[in-house]
Amino acid sequence: MRSPLRPRLLAPLLLLPLIAGCFASGGGEASGSGDGGSGGARLRVALAFPPAENLSPYGADATLLSRLGVTEGLTALDANGAAAPALAESWRRENDRTWTFSLREATFQDGSDVTPAAVADSLTRAGAAEPAPAALAGVTLTAEAAGDRVVRVTTAEPDPVLPLRLSSPSLAVLSAKAYGKDGRVDPVGTATGPFELTKVNGAASASLDRFDDYWGGRAQAAGVDARFIADGTARANALRTGELDIAEAVPVAQAATLDKDTRRDTATTRTTSLLLNASSGPFKDAGLRAAARAALDTSVFAKDVYEGHADPGAGIYGPAVSWAEGKRKAPVGRAEAKRPGGASITLATYDNRPELPEVAQVVKDQLEKAGFTVKLTVREYSRLESDALDGKFDAFVLARNTLLDTGDPVGILAADYTCDGGYAIAQLCDKDVDKAVAEAEKTADTEKRRDAAMAAEARILGSDAVVPLVHQRIITGVAASVQGVVLDPYERTLVGTGTRR
Amino acid sequence: MRRQVTALVWRVVLAAALVCGVGLLPWLSRTDPALTVLKARSADRDPDPEVLAAIREQLGLDAGPLHLLTRWLGGLGRGDAGDSWISGTPVLPDVARALGASLLLMASALAVAALTAALVCARTLRLGARRGLGGRRRGGTGSAMAAALPEFLLASVLSTVVGVQLGWLPALGWYGPAWTVLPALALGLPAGALLGRLLDDLLPGAFGEPWALAAAARGLPGRRVARQALRRCVPALLPNLGLFVVGLTGGAVAVEQVFDIPGLGRATLQAALAQDLPVLQAGTLALVLLAALATGATRLAARLLTGPALRDGALFSLHRPAPPGRALPPLLCGAALLAVTGAGLVRDPLAVATGQRLQAPSAAHPFGTDALGRDLLARVGHGALDTLLLAGAISAAALLAGVLLGLVPRLSGPLVDTVNAVPPVLVALLVTAVAGSGTATPALAVAAVAWAPLAAHTASLLAQERATLHITATRGLGAGRWYLLRRELLPAVLPSVLRHALLRLPGVALALASLGFLGLGAQPPSPEWGLLLAENQPYAERAPWAVLAPAAVLALLGAVAVTAAGALRRPPRRHRTPVPGTPPTGRGDRAGRKTLAGVG
Repeated sequence: MRSPLRPRLLAPLLLLPLIAGCFASGGGEASGSGDGGSGGARLRVALAFPPAENLSPYGADATLLSRLGVTEGLTALDANGAAAPALAESWRRENDRTWTFSLREATFQDGSDVTPAAVADSLTRAGAAEPAPAALAGVTLTAEAAGDRVVRVTTAEPDPVLPLRLSSPSLAVLSAKAYGKDGRVDPVGTATGPFELTKVNGAASASLDRFDDYWGGRAQAAGVDARFIADGTARANALRTGELDIAEAVPVAQAATLDKDTRRDTATTRTTSLLLNASSGPFKDAGLRAAARAALDTSVFAKDVYEGHADPGAGIYGPAVSWAEGKRKAPVGRAEAKRPGGASITLATYDNRPELPEVAQVVKDQLEKAGFTVKLTVREYSRLESDALDGKFDAFVLARNTLLDTGDPVGILAADYTCDGGYAIAQLCDKDVDKAVAEAEKTADTEKRRDAAMAAEARILGSDAVVPLVHQRIITGVAASVQGVVLDPYERTLVGTGTRR
Repeated sequence: MRRQVTALVWRVVLAAALVCGVGLLPWLSRTDPALTVLKARSADRDPDPEVLAAIREQLGLDAGPLHLLTRWLGGLGRGDAGDSWISGTPVLPDVARALGASLLLMASALAVAALTAALVCARTLRLGARRGLGGRRRGGTGSAMAAALPEFLLASVLSTVVGVQLGWLPALGWYGPAWTVLPALALGLPAGALLGRLLDDLLPGAFGEPWALAAAARGLPGRRVARQALRRCVPALLPNLGLFVVGLTGGAVAVEQVFDIPGLGRATLQAALAQDLPVLQAGTLALVLLAALATGATRLAARLLTGPALRDGALFSLHRPAPPGRALPPLLCGAALLAVTGAGLVRDPLAVATGQRLQAPSAAHPFGTDALGRDLLARVGHGALDTLLLAGAISAAALLAGVLLGLVPRLSGPLVDTVNAVPPVLVALLVTAVAGSGTATPALAVAAVAWAPLAAHTASLLAQERATLHITATRGLGAGRWYLLRRELLPAVLPSVLRHALLRLPGVALALASLGFLGLGAQPPSPEWGLLLAENQPYAERAPWAVLAPAAVLALLGAVAVTAAGALRRPPRRHRTPVPGTPPTGRGDRAGRKTLAGVG
């Protein structure tokens, strides 16, 4: 049996370890629904956005950490969009620029205590990050320990929405161990949430274990196996094959392929609107803007394009901003609609969200029926944005988070619709609007601030520079056996202590 | 030896030019990398000037492209390809991991392709071994249609039907051997059909050569004759195989997306859009190196298989008097295509009726409706003209460039390898950077890639043709170089290359559509065929007709091109026996289609 062939036949086996290295890691443990002996199965979750910056808490990855229940800040947002206690039990405004926060008894996942010094250090480092986290844009804050369990936060300018601001995932509190010498921040095992990151496989997957000493009680699930799957169809398919328990953000086109009881709609603060360029081109004329607004039948977008997984456009803020509906005022100062008479306009949108090109085509169709001549441009978002901000298009279909990173309703009004706003695609510059927004910006009391925001909204809608089309809902695929998924209109939480299967 | 050194130098120059071009990309296209990097990190973040300034400082952009490039090249010498601009992690391990996944995917796709090709050729081999090929007409309509199938469509169908509905194999992920089957099928089936068709076209020629006759007369078993015939034909396909291997490694974006495979295609696509230059440079360099390796390997394999015959000019033309192709199939396919177009032209392709969304085919809408309730028959019909005219024009330009460059293989060979190795999106970005985003840019971007396989094909045919006995004889009779080229070489080579160009027409249409997301090419609501496929892909499971209609007309177009190409076979000429029926060589890489998923 000493065949000369045998070694040759065995040679390919030497390649096996090499080939094994070519597969993605992190899928293996997903199959074991092991419970670790202490009760509760592991949850298998697919998230839509892979970590872009190596899970740095200062960018978009912060939301991802907060959705998985890894990090927490001093405050959180409650269902009404107000600041609620998280690591801080309570807070108090000492004067215009100073707030004090009383901490609760909590421990970091590395075993150390959450002390005022540690919290102050975390906030200071976030303030010094380059580029600054979005929630701190234009804000300078200093944080210091002020007693046994108290942190004092001072801002350079008066900041009436500081508690809301601190609910931002990018201002999460991490232990001293998280901050490396080279400026990198490592959230693995250094946060305070109910789940602790144990392993991150690049942008492919991450493993989390339950953190037993969580101040809010032990989580029911033993851990989370998170996978990052960018393709919406792939996420839906994985849920259908039973590979997953929770699939985030199922696209509208795939929603119908899921069983009714496995998909949950949540109204979000994202509004898809048509922005009309109010400072150049045909839509400089308020009469033509009014004509365009009147030409649009907004009911078809939610019903047909989004197949009912959205709410018809009511204003800048949708139903997810629960207080807005009761305070809404009729648009102020609308112009008389003129006849378009074949006015030629350019309409642009982007294809990163698959529904937008469809919405834009319906808009084009409706505007053309009303007598406009429309040329449509669809590009990838980063190839479009600077042209849009420069006012190169007459109309733009945009999906925009209306509460931005701070949870403050006034932020978007100032950025999008004032003369010197940083994101003024509508190119609106209107004295009355600016005045109304400035009024809202300086109001501190929550209720009055909301009233002022709605008054400004009425002004902005009155200018017809923006036509709200739909308020999006996020569709989460949840396997039948899973309970307690946290469906959050602000898209900041997903897995909580009560989530189990 | 000197020739090899020159080729090597030329190759290095090209690779260096490419890497420098990538390094200058944002400055050439005047797209601020700070902005694209910011958007890749956090799509919702507003581009405040302060944020952009912070990113610029972090990346050292103010130092200018030349400084960045020299620093990157310097690091490369130390085995450090820099840090990703988006994530800040070192590039090299990430690119190596992605390359590993892509190579494995490509290897399994190659295995599937080999099996498919074997199935396609099985009948010819069996008949040839029994010497039963005489007078058999060439078929191959079926395999030509399979070769025109877009990979992303096949991937969607396999993943939903086999993966989800039947549950036989995992529908997504990349965790072990079971996960490789479906992606390999999606990539390998069309490619295998193509390669099989090419081989099937060559085989009868080999079986008709004198040695085969002699072997049969000598009583050698048919199996051995068949094996030798394969050995005789495979070298002609090797250059295409090499292109296919490299193209798949860097360009299988669609399949990687559908099956969630962490491959190089997706990595370079993301890096190209975000202008993450270190990743893009490292990825491109890896692909160019792979291309050089693949070319070297195919040359070596060709030499091992053919032996010294090529060098010594001792080959026969791989030719046998082919019976003219049947006239019926092209007529039938062409009539079907015309009928569909005609029926569609009288309907309105833009009438939006959202209430009629995704309706199944009925009397009112024979092909059903799309996601906005538009009539698909109308869209397919109206798209025909746009698609065929533009794709036809691009193919013609690519043919011209391909043949001209194919005449100077020493110059064009490394150029072909390089162009083929670069991910199509990157080519488009580079072309846009140089030419601006005018109306001709999409055509230029596609043509910039499309000429390469034609040039490779021309070059390989010429090499074979130059080594044939009748050329030696003509030369012996005192013919000059021009005479040879004009009267012998070009007439022998042109028909095959023309057929090849026709075969690639559907691919060109798809490649055009894949540039849409850069704002190039057809924009919605245009009914251009590639765009139709892309915009209906998300609904493939719920409304299969919405993708089947455009896919079917593209396949029909492929079938018409192939079968009609039979009529292009050169009729025998008086003064000598005609030269090769070397077949249309659809290049394997099918590069243009890869990015389609990026659209969806």
